[in-house]
Amino acid sequence: MDSITVKSANKTKLFCAAGVALLAALAAASLFTGKYPLTLSGILAGEEMQLRVFWTLRFSRMVVGVVGGFALGTAGFVYQTVFRNPLASPDVIGVSSGASAGAAAGILFLSGAAAVTAASFAGALAAVCLALALSALDRAGRNSTIVLAGIVVHSLAQTALMCLKLTADPERELASIEYWIMGSLNGISGYSIGDNLALCGVCLAVLFLLHRQILLLSAEEGEARMLGVSVEKLRLAVLLVATLVVSCIVSLSGLISFVGLLAPHGARLLTGRNHTGTMFLGGLLGGILLTGADILARSVAATELPVSIFTSLLGAPFLIFLIVRGRQKT
Amino acid sequence: MKMKQILSLLTAAAMTLSLAACGTDASDAVTATAQPTPAAETGEQASEATASPETAAEQTVYPVTLTDQAGREVTIESQPETLVSGYYISTSLLIALGLEDNLVGIEAKADTRPIYQLSAPELLELPSVGTAKEFDLEGCTALEPDLVILPLKLKDAAASLEELGITALVVNPENQELLNEATTLIGTATNTMDRAQALLDFADEQEPRLSDTLSGTEAPSVYLAGNSDFLSTAGSEMYQSDMITMAGGTNVAADITDTYWAENSYEQVLAWNPDYIILASDASYTVDDVLNDANLAGCAAVENGNVYQIPGNAEAWDSPVPSGILGAIWLSSVLHPDICPEADSLAVIDEFYQTFYGFNYSEISE
Repeated sequence: MDSITVKSANKTKLFCAAGVALLAALAAASLFTGKYPLTLSGILAGEEMQLRVFWTLRFSRMVVGVVGGFALGTAGFVYQTVFRNPLASPDVIGVSSGASAGAAAGILFLSGAAAVTAASFAGALAAVCLALALSALDRAGRNSTIVLAGIVVHSLAQTALMCLKLTADPERELASIEYWIMGSLNGISGYSIGDNLALCGVCLAVLFLLHRQILLLSAEEGEARMLGVSVEKLRLAVLLVATLVVSCIVSLSGLISFVGLLAPHGARLLTGRNHTGTMFLGGLLGGILLTGADILARSVAATELPVSIFTSLLGAPFLIFLIVRGRQKT
Repeated sequence: MKMKQILSLLTAAAMTLSLAACGTDASDAVTATAQPTPAAETGEQASEATASPETAAEQTVYPVTLTDQAGREVTIESQPETLVSGYYISTSLLIALGLEDNLVGIEAKADTRPIYQLSAPELLELPSVGTAKEFDLEGCTALEPDLVILPLKLKDAAASLEELGITALVVNPENQELLNEATTLIGTATNTMDRAQALLDFADEQEPRLSDTLSGTEAPSVYLAGNSDFLSTAGSEMYQSDMITMAGGTNVAADITDTYWAENSYEQVLAWNPDYIILASDASYTVDDVLNDANLAGCAAVENGNVYQIPGNAEAWDSPVPSGILGAIWLSSVLHPDICPEADSLAVIDEFYQTFYGFNYSEISE
């Protein structure tokens, strides 16, 4: 029994090391992908334009790809663990649809990219607060109540989004809303990402500090209580922090499909465990998926393509491969 | 006389039969849109003896059968007195043809089109028949119009109207060529071909005038920023790209072949480094937004303050509206102020709106 645990822990470490190496390689590749003709000699010689494009555009976009993917993967792991539901993702408690409705309102009534980011952040938070408040009405504090409340909020946010789309001018705002929902790291620049990344970093740190408690939440509720965990408060706090993480990223990039769902599953299928190492590996897989997808999104065509196309295209076969491999083993 | 009519009818019948017989030729009938079909021509032949050939070309003889831009055969029995237009471009065209008093219903959101307010404010009082997304079939039927003009997106609605016994004509003015075709089509259907021809001639005269004036000059590079987003632009397949070329510029995004606004990145714009940045007429952001965008620092157009927005005081000239040619005329003065002085362009713009829309553009653009 002990030797199996040790072996499995070693395997997780190995996968994490490989994940870090692959993510670093992709991040480096991402620095060499783009439409502006950057040259190494130009950057080293300190040419103003070369440096500006490198730092404000190329480097920032790489950072958001790596951190954003990591954040979505980690948050996905937290959601799935806390809800003890393999289908849980930020969509379940209405984060994504809240963010979309917020962004749409921002596009319609405010001006400027920063305002849209703020509006979508507010929309995501409002949706989650509403979902958690609704679930608090249930005194029994059942897990399923949060999911049901989330579904209610999700459909409310979708309705709001539909109304906003209906009033939007098809040539201008509607096109913007549609494009925002498809998700892209295209508009990312060094001037606009600081606050979001800082908050996201703090929240991620909190999640990793709380990793033991998060794993306890996945145990049966009675069991967790016996271990001295105040289940309801902890669950609320963890969900709020995980939601903040997602909101920080999604309000910058627009919706990115599949990363939050796939990365934690991939990590669990690879390691066969549900552990802190798995949470970290889930983050790494998220980072790899988003950075890889973004490299393709900006290089396969003359124009920029929505990144979600590639997160799904890359992610789906990978997940199927892992499932088939798991079947063959057992 | 009777004998002659019977003979010409027989000829028409024979022609139809021979067309039906060889299937490949039948497609020619569809491509030859906006051309009166044999049935109409026989009518003209019958009256040829009395009328001179020129007036015969301008006067529509009813009933007339037309092939619309959805490839449908539409027969109009008599000169339509009441009209409904379900598309802003056809509404604008009907004003230019002097038919605003015949309109009994138009598309929704009419208050967002300044040209109506300027040229035919009474249109704003008309009932709305909905948008291309949500067409109000019942409301349109209730108006009992003689002729309904709809965009290609609503060709299903046109078929439904047809079943309800209302004549509908589908137009698809997506580019200059299709707009010209639609102009001829509507001109023929409403018996206003003389005015339609004047409208077509105006654009036909401006194009060679611009290319003569601009021949031999260097073409500065232009980035055209789209309506919804600064980072969306028009590739070579789009109407807006022709406008840039006509005005003596080079579209930096000419390699992009998307038929709709294409998304690109700040890196791409900086790599293109355009001499001029031109904002679409309906852009949801301003010239100042672009000039103050820190991501565009170092771009030639921004450094030199060469950022302009296509005026939308009357109509969005970067869309295929009848006044679309004015966009190229305006832009030629922006790109080549020394050889295309602004005053000259303004004179042409004034003349256009005075002739076809009956208002003074200089007064409203101040």
